[in-house]
Amino acid sequence: MADVDVLDLTVLDRWLRLFAASVAEQKDTLTALDAAIGDADHGANMHRGMTAVVEALDATPPADPAALFKQTGMVLVRSVGGASGPLYGTFFLRMAPATGGAGALEPETFAKALRAGVEGVVARGKAEPGDKTMLDALAPALDALDAALAAGESLAAALRQASTAADEGRDATTPLVARKGRASYLGERSADHQDPGATSAALLVGAAAAAVAGP
Amino acid sequence: MTVGIVVVSHSRALADAAVGLAGEMVRDGGPVEVAAGLDDGGFGTDAVAIADALARAEQGDGVVVLMDLGSAVLSAELALELLDDAAAERVVLCPAPLVEGLVVAAVSAAGGAPAAEVAAEAADALEAKTTHLAPPGTGPGPAPEAATGDEERGVFTVRTAHGVHARPAARLVGALRGLDADVRLRNLTLDGPEVSAASMSKVATLGALEGHEVAVRARGAEAGEAVRRLLAVADDDFGEAPEATAAAAPSPPAAAPAGGPLPASPGIGVGPVRAVRAVPVDVPPARPGTPAEQRARLDGARAAVRDDLRAVRDRAAREIGEAEAAVFDAQLLLLDDPDVLTDATARTDAGADAARAWADVLDEVEARFAGAADEYLRARARDVRDVRDRVLRALGGVEHPGAGGEGILVADDLTPADAAALDPARTPAVVLAGSSPTAHAAILLRARGVPAVVGAGAALITRARQAAVVAVDGTTGEVVVDPDPATLAAFRDRAGALERRREAARRRAHEPAVTRDGTRVLVGANVGGPGDARAAVGADLAGLVRTEFCFLDRHRAPDVDEQETAYRAIAEAMGGRVTLRTLDVGGDKPLDYLPLPPEPNPFLGVRGIRLALARPRLLADQLEAIVRVAHDHPVDVMFPMVATVDELVAARRALDDAVGAVGRGRPPDLRVGIMVEIPATALKAAAFAPLVDFLSIGTNDLTQYALAAERGNDAVAALGDALDPGVLALVAATADGARSGDDVLVAVCGELAGDEQAAALLVGLGVRELSVAPTAVAAVKQAVRDVDLASARELAAAALRCPDAEAVRGLLR
Repeated sequence: MADVDVLDLTVLDRWLRLFAASVAEQKDTLTALDAAIGDADHGANMHRGMTAVVEALDATPPADPAALFKQTGMVLVRSVGGASGPLYGTFFLRMAPATGGAGALEPETFAKALRAGVEGVVARGKAEPGDKTMLDALAPALDALDAALAAGESLAAALRQASTAADEGRDATTPLVARKGRASYLGERSADHQDPGATSAALLVGAAAAAVAGP
Repeated sequence: MTVGIVVVSHSRALADAAVGLAGEMVRDGGPVEVAAGLDDGGFGTDAVAIADALARAEQGDGVVVLMDLGSAVLSAELALELLDDAAAERVVLCPAPLVEGLVVAAVSAAGGAPAAEVAAEAADALEAKTTHLAPPGTGPGPAPEAATGDEERGVFTVRTAHGVHARPAARLVGALRGLDADVRLRNLTLDGPEVSAASMSKVATLGALEGHEVAVRARGAEAGEAVRRLLAVADDDFGEAPEATAAAAPSPPAAAPAGGPLPASPGIGVGPVRAVRAVPVDVPPARPGTPAEQRARLDGARAAVRDDLRAVRDRAAREIGEAEAAVFDAQLLLLDDPDVLTDATARTDAGADAARAWADVLDEVEARFAGAADEYLRARARDVRDVRDRVLRALGGVEHPGAGGEGILVADDLTPADAAALDPARTPAVVLAGSSPTAHAAILLRARGVPAVVGAGAALITRARQAAVVAVDGTTGEVVVDPDPATLAAFRDRAGALERRREAARRRAHEPAVTRDGTRVLVGANVGGPGDARAAVGADLAGLVRTEFCFLDRHRAPDVDEQETAYRAIAEAMGGRVTLRTLDVGGDKPLDYLPLPPEPNPFLGVRGIRLALARPRLLADQLEAIVRVAHDHPVDVMFPMVATVDELVAARRALDDAVGAVGRGRPPDLRVGIMVEIPATALKAAAFAPLVDFLSIGTNDLTQYALAAERGNDAVAALGDALDPGVLALVAATADGARSGDDVLVAVCGELAGDEQAAALLVGLGVRELSVAPTAVAAVKQAVRDVDLASARELAAAALRCPDAEAVRGLLR
């Protein structure tokens, strides 16, 4: 299989399943990170949510990308439980209308939809870059993606760079003091811990890169 | 204006408890919906569930949302996006702290405030607490100057028992709503700051207690009307009257009966007199000590009384059932009433002796009851007195006359607590001037096997108090003061005959109860715990296991394993069939983990099977535990308070699900039945019969529902006589209806079943199982052995033609 250059239903379905698989694999890590500065449920919550997302994909295969994002968002809202439910839920729900009803997404459309999703996360969580949240992985990833696409890079290459940026953003959360969410209650004590939300967000971007990459 | 409220929390238990707490403040509030926890019972919030709750709570006037933290806020915001714009616009997300905000919002909404005002009130909810905890001198400054215009003034004195707390504050604010006036209040007694009368939480910061003077100042076009209305609601005690405390007070004594002494508990007692007069316990001499020491003494005494009352309560629950035991809950509430304690602490802080402070506070409470316009409330004064006296005794007052001493107890009346506490071995009989055979005290005396005559009248009691010896026949109602030797001998003969009969009954306790003509009647025991099961010597089965014992006095529901262990213990202790009644509670006795909205009439509200079907998880767990036990022991499952066939069908479906969940197939000896307590159910017995193995008539509730006379209200308890021909007709209807089923057993598990004299009547009406107090099993079996079915049927037919219970009782003698 060669690199793909548009994101059709097959690719998007693969993205979500790959994300579900990495969450499952990293469940304990996510929970351990959250145990340090939160309520030790991020891994379990995201795993429950993504398992439900995959079940929904199996049970009711969506008709187009918009339907896929909407269904995914609603399932996450219903099943995650913690703050990542409305945050990831909003992310996918806001992606849906940004697809413009297309049957397959051009890279630019996909990037635009991701941008709409991240704006939804910002509106929902009122977080800013540097607050030690999932935004610290997503924002640099989007910037990298846009820059790479503008420079004429392939979709696969652009998402690889986005993934790298997300990982760097994630790593950069470690020294930060949390200003949002349960971790903010810890104040200075939240420093020296990697943010679990940024960690799962980096997995999401990584899964997108993997979904479009060749074997 | 009905603003709905939605509570969003990570925890279902937290949300339910907060709603329960708010429900304490409001009797007839608007809808309060909960969206909390995840479907699997875990912590979390769900925007879709919140959107659903918003839709349910919306009555057209908007919804206010209270949230706990984190994702609750995010999910609530997202839920608004899931609604259409018009619906979302009517929703206000309120930043108030969940518990404080919900309480204020519930009261404010019940007062008819619009959504924005409810939310604003709730958002200010912390103010009362903040002000309270602020160091002196840092309270809120004066309120901003009122609008211009002519100023109207007034002053009122607070007369409500607990001051202007939330409920009166809501009344006050509600009275001013809609008026074009800016109204300010100031507590003159405390010389406090002026606050706005438009804000419930501000009014609560007045700290206006009973006796405080409050100044009113109003400006605006309708200032005069505002002051007039405000003074009027104050004059009306904010609609509180004394019933605010009445809810925490126990039942009244009986009205003085007409018609002479009445038998109230069978048996014969002869002996010296132990007179008990209803005189107040003297306040014990003051003991020196600091306020802290006085407070500690009072706390210690209250703790001792609390233990006593709990023990009495548990005994009452075991012996006569939860409904009757509730009277002691009310006394326990009074013992720990925060307003009473605040008052007492204020007195000890001012240097009063602990006993004096307690006596004075309770005397005031009692006086308020005694001065009530309502006779029922007036009658409750003596129960307040009972709590007062118990604590004083514990503080060194005179010896408790109810429990100690030996001899025939002669008194004006007996509190249920005293009846439950007295020692049957040292009390040959009880004679009361007042009370009735259906009063709590009489029920307890019967359950405890103490012969009793009630309604003896003041003259007889006065003579009895001065007598050396009194002879009492609790079966006939005879009381003879200072009997002559011949009478004494006759009583002793009767007592001897009775004792021989009881002895014979005890010897044959383990034999089946068979009528003279060979009809087998099962005699079971009503069981409230494993101890009862062991006490039920000779019982053919446990005809009623009140499973409430598993659920009370705890903070979370028992899980399946725990219930299984408890039911198994009873089944093993009984050694025979056990009839496990599923949880039978209602709004009169909500459990911590089962908060129920307050109901104006909980006995006609969500209780028994209605509650179980509304809380399917609770029922599912209980049925699963029952099914597990049913694989090893013969078990009946019995559903309480069934009114319709649909309810029974739903309950049976839940049982089928439990059988499935246990996964070992249907236990072969698992039988299913219902309680017949509702008159309509008795009359529809034929519709139920094909779906059950047995119908068990709970005559206590059936009687109170059929005669519309609440058992807990001694003022009407005498009406609630199970021998009323109307009640007997319902028993007959149940037995008739049962024939449309396949071999459906008709049982009676109420008080009436334990009345030896009623055994023939019940058998004649078609009853084939009697479930009675454990101590009554042997005697009832013996009574069945005297029954001849043909004559019993004639007796039943005659009883059904009687005009009243008295005539029926005449047939039985």
